[in-house]
Parts: sequence; C-alpha cells; structure tokens
Amino acid sequence: MTQVTRMRRPLVAALAGSAAIALALTGCTNSGSTGGPEEVTFSYLWSGAEADAIEQIIADYNASQSDVVVTGISSPDFQKQLTSMSSSNGSFDISDHFGNGVGSWAAKGILAPLDDYLAADGVDTSDFIPAALDQMTYDGKIYSLPIAVHSFQLLYNKTLLEEAGVAVPTTMNELAAAIATLTKQDADGTITQLGLGDPSPSTTLTTLGYNFGGDWDAGGEPSPTEPGNIAALQWYVDNIVDLVGPENLATFNSGNGEYMSAQDPFYVGRFAMVIDGEWRAANIPATAPDLDWGVTAIPYASTDLEDVTQLTASTLFIPANARHKEAAAKFLAYLVSDEGMTAFTKALGNLPSRTSLLDTDAFADIDQFDVWMDALKSPNVFALSSAPYSAEYSADLGTAFGDVILGSTTPQEAMQTVLDNSSNYATE
Amino acid sequence: MRMTTIRRRRALTGLAFAAPFLMGFAIFIAYPIGASAFYSFTDFNLFQSPDWVGLQNYERLAQDSSFWKALANTFVLTATGVPLSIGIGIAGAHLLNLPVRGQPLFRALVYLPTIVPVVVGGYLWRWMLNSQYGFINYFLGLLGITGPGWLVQPEWTKPAIVLMTLWTVGGTMIIYLAALKDVPGELYEAAEIDGAGPFSRFLHITWPTISPVTLFQVIVNVIAWLQIFTQPYLLAQTRLNNASSGPGESMLTYAMYLFQNAFSFLKMGYASAMAWILFLLTLAVTLVILIGSRRWVHDGAR
Repeated sequence: MTQVTRMRRPLVAALAGSAAIALALTGCTNSGSTGGPEEVTFSYLWSGAEADAIEQIIADYNASQSDVVVTGISSPDFQKQLTSMSSSNGSFDISDHFGNGVGSWAAKGILAPLDDYLAADGVDTSDFIPAALDQMTYDGKIYSLPIAVHSFQLLYNKTLLEEAGVAVPTTMNELAAAIATLTKQDADGTITQLGLGDPSPSTTLTTLGYNFGGDWDAGGEPSPTEPGNIAALQWYVDNIVDLVGPENLATFNSGNGEYMSAQDPFYVGRFAMVIDGEWRAANIPATAPDLDWGVTAIPYASTDLEDVTQLTASTLFIPANARHKEAAAKFLAYLVSDEGMTAFTKALGNLPSRTSLLDTDAFADIDQFDVWMDALKSPNVFALSSAPYSAEYSADLGTAFGDVILGSTTPQEAMQTVLDNSSNYATE
Repeated sequence: MRMTTIRRRRALTGLAFAAPFLMGFAIFIAYPIGASAFYSFTDFNLFQSPDWVGLQNYERLAQDSSFWKALANTFVLTATGVPLSIGIGIAGAHLLNLPVRGQPLFRALVYLPTIVPVVVGGYLWRWMLNSQYGFINYFLGLLGITGPGWLVQPEWTKPAIVLMTLWTVGGTMIIYLAALKDVPGELYEAAEIDGAGPFSRFLHITWPTISPVTLFQVIVNVIAWLQIFTQPYLLAQTRLNNASSGPGESMLTYAMYLFQNAFSFLKMGYASAMAWILFLLTLAVTLVILIGSRRWVHDGAR
C-alpha cells in the first residue's frame, strides 16, 4: 500500500459523507397514483372548535362517495400556506383565504382558474351574492369561491340603552345622539363607557364609508378621497373622537379585553354599541350568555342609503400547483352545495354566500342571525375590491385611520396621503 | 513530483472534509446574498420570474414616506438605545462587582430576562405598558405621576420599545463584569495612594482598560438596534396577519417595513433593495465607529 491510496480513503469517505448529507437534505418524495379513490389534501387556516366542525364535514363527504378521499390539515400559518404554493409540486389541493386577497394571488398565477371545473361539476355561479362573486373574479375568470360571507350590522346592549332611555337609532343623527348619551366619563376625563366602540377601526370605518355613500375602489383604483369616505371619517371624528378627546379614547381602548372573549369590551358593557359581523350571534350565547343584546341595520345617512352594509368573504381556492385539481374541484362543489355550505356556515356561525340559501330556516336556532342574513338581500351590499394592491392599500388605510382617530391629521389629509402612496402599489 | 501530488491530495482531502460547510455556506448564505442583490434591481413577487427594472426600486424608496419614517424611527431608537445599553451595562457591572453577600444571586437575577424568550417577554410588556391597567403606570401613579399612553401615543412608543429592550441589558452587564475583573488591582491601589477619588479612578483606569470591550459592545449594539424587529413587531401587533406599525407609524422600524414589503405585500425586489441599503448603511456606520475608535480605545497589547 502506498501513501497515496491510504490518503484516498478519507477523501472518498468525506465526499461520500457530504453527498449523503446533501441527499438527505433534498429528501425528494414522489407519490405514485394507484387505482383507488383520488386523495385530496385540504389545508385550512381554521383551528380549534372550527377545525373540529370542518373535520366532521370532511368525514361526511368521504362517507358519501367513493371517488375522492379528503384529508384535512389545520394549518393556521399564512406564510406557510403561501410558501408551499411557490414550489412546483404543491403540498395541498384546496385551501381557504379571504375575499380581498383573490386578485393579488390570481395576478401572480398562484390560483387555478375554476370556470371549467365549476361548469363540469354543475355549480350554478349565478346563485352567489353578486358582491361576493365580484371579489372572486379576476380578469374575467373565477379564481375562488366564497364558502361563507359576512355582513356588518349595529349591535347594541339592550340593558345600557334602556337605562339611558335611548331608542335604537335608525339614522346617523340618531346614532350620534345615542353615542353622546351612552358615553360616560369620570371627572378627570377617564372614559368608563363608550357609546360606539370599534373592534377593528379598518372594518368599522370602511363600512361607515359605504354608509355615507363612499366607495373605496371607484373605477377599480384606490379612491380613498371619495366624498362619502371623507364624510364618514369626519362624522366619526365629530361624534366619537372629539366627544371624548383622542388621548382619552386611546387610553380607554388600550384597556379593552381580548376580542370575543368573556372580557370583550362589548360583552362587559364598556362599549354600548358596536358595528360587527354575524359571528357574534354564535359567539355571544357561548361566551356572554347573560348579555341582553339586539342587532339592527346600520343607521342611514340619507334615505337613499338605507340598509347599506359591507360584505367580506371567506374563500376556498385550488392552488395552481395542486396535484389533484379535478378531485379537489369535486370536493369544492360539495362544500358550496346546499348541504355542504349549510353545514359549514352553521358550524362556524357564518352566513351562506348563495342567495337561495338566505331564506333557509337552518339557522333559526341562532338568535337574531336573520338580521345579518336579511342584510345580504339589500341592493346596497358593497365589498372592497380584490386587486393586486389590496394588501398595501389595507395597510395604508389602517395607518391613516389610526392617525385620524389619534387626532394627528384631518380625514382629508389622511386620505390624500393614502392616495399619494397608491402610485407605488404592486400592479400584479 | 510525488510530493506535489501528495500535497494536492492533502488539500483536496481538507476541502472534502470542509465540503459540508462550504456547500452550506454557498447554498444558504453566499447564493441568497448574491440573489438579493440581483432581485433588488427587479420587480419580483416570489411566484413569477423577476422583471428587470433597473434602479426603479431605489428611486421609489427615495419617494416612499414610510421608508423615511422607518429609517428615522430606527435612527432615533439606535441613538437612544445604544448609549443607554452601554451606560447601564457599565454602571450595572460596577454594582455586580461590589463585594456584598449573595452577589452570585444578584448576577443571576440580572441575567435572567435575557433567557426569557423574546416573544413571551413581548406579550408581558404589552400588558406591563398598558396605559390603563399596566404595572408601569400603576407604579408611576403611586409616585403621583400620571403615566402616559405608552403604546397608543406616538411620542411614547419609542421609549416603550427602549424600555422593553433594556430589560435584557443583563447580557451587556455580564460581559462588562468580566472586563472589570480583568482590570489589574494594583493600578487602583497605586491611584488610591496618589489620592485619586472613585470618579478619577474610573476615568483614568477603568474606562481606558475596558475600552476594547466597549468598542465591541458599541458595534454589536449598533448593529442590533439598526436591525431591531421583534420588540416593535410584538408591541405593534394587531389582529390577524395585518401589517401594523403602531400609532402614526411610530413603531415602524426599518426591519419591520422590510418584512412588510417582503411578506405582506410580496414585493421581494423592493424588500431586497431595502436589505442592501441597510447592509451598506450598517457597514458605513461600523467603519465610522472603527475609525473613530482609534481616538478612545486603549489597546495595551499593541
């Protein structure tokens, strides 16, 4: 044995070791197809009790037919959902998201267009609420379906209104007067009760924009400075922010308990009224059973703006890199069928997105749920556009709303800043 | 001839053994750095192939008010956070160096916050700093001071971030403590005999002797503060996956805005341009500190 061959052995061993590590890191998998039912992976963002409800629906579907077997995975991580769609071989075949994100993802080619599948599986798209289906459509094609929708109405604490002798408001002027009566402060300015609270400034203020005849995406572009939007913000400043002072308001809101928990400010009487979605109807009996509450249409600013509400949607989509698109589409068709959608929305306490389901009595046992359901029949249902710029626009609006509520800028200035920024938004 | 072959084999063997690291370095560090430089000149959304746009990202950054706001916020935090970390670190190290009973316990207690996961600490501080129910304002109230709205008033959010970050200053203190232990005791004795007071001893003996450690601490702290992300991200966080920046964007730091552009808005090219600006900025600041340090760092060994 020469010195050279003895040297070669560690060289080979080291190379082999490196190669083994590299192979282990790459870890490629390949699932071959067999003759049995096609496997579909449903990765969803829901968790906890909602995930349990979805698993039940999956089990029912699997038992009802033999072509497709669906496996559910609760994965409430947005970043993970997104990154797994960037590879050529997707890790799931169907998943859920939000209505105003459709355009951004469709423009990037992440979502599979559904029109052909829906036609093949006999899904009647004309039955979906128009504002919801608009959000699902990008460049003339449908890229998602609304599995559930949400509308916003005015909830009020009956006990607090009766104590103060306040009637349920129907106009914006009545609402302003009610807020003034129902807001209570200590001698030093500390707020102990706020007439109208807002669980999410962005949702409350975009909704109010529609109530004042505004539009956030006029002509398919960000339009924050529309007169109705400014009027809504000004109404909010005049009747809530200036009533108590921005610093008092900020301090009061920082002490609010967790949203929808037993300490939720509406449940404990810190907020006399809130503008919020239908999921409250299912949540209140479970979380705040002693609360005596009511719900009504958001008061109108003028008679042509009665029954105005904002619609938001929870969506289902098939990623472009899904391996079993056809089978996933069959499951999707089931989820939006009478049976699937009713079971799903009922379990989550959400609204069905199909007009033919708005008169069903399946939701009769959820107290006051019909108020949110009926709101969807109004011709004045509006939704934010789902454009590639939506995420940036929402973030900028959120910041601007915050500035207005802090009293650091005027509604007009704040919305002009957003408009100026919008030239820098993503276009695809 | 034979010797060169052996030498070459030896070099190859060495490289082969180093290959796991070299491959990892090339794949996970060198390539991403190079790629981000390329992406910074493109419009890239993670899913579609990048489009070359030249200097457009850099030009847009120059006109982006949130970018300048984030840069200004980060500079304010760095300019207050670094001197406070160093000052409290040195002062605290002196206290921990006093010959009192139970000193090991005090040292452990001071270091303890450093090992608390920063996310856990962040959620604790959100409630500690709550303007209505928080402990901080409760104790201020006992002193007759009306506490501010730490996380809701734009002018108070930066003090809140500094406060939360300084909670973990124990790490700096412990390093300074080790440096203090290395100061030769005979120097103090000699100075004392010559009539030097405590301040004079600190200024002429302690400070010069620990100055190499201070240089290290300044650089490490400046880099950490320029990249600060987790603390403001946790304090500004709202519901869901929304990009939030605190009241009036007052908690929007450079790293947070970079993150928002990359992962909330999927503008990877824009975010890459930001990353390179931060890198060059950090490099420049570090070089200025290193050059300036020749005036005040006492390096006995040289």
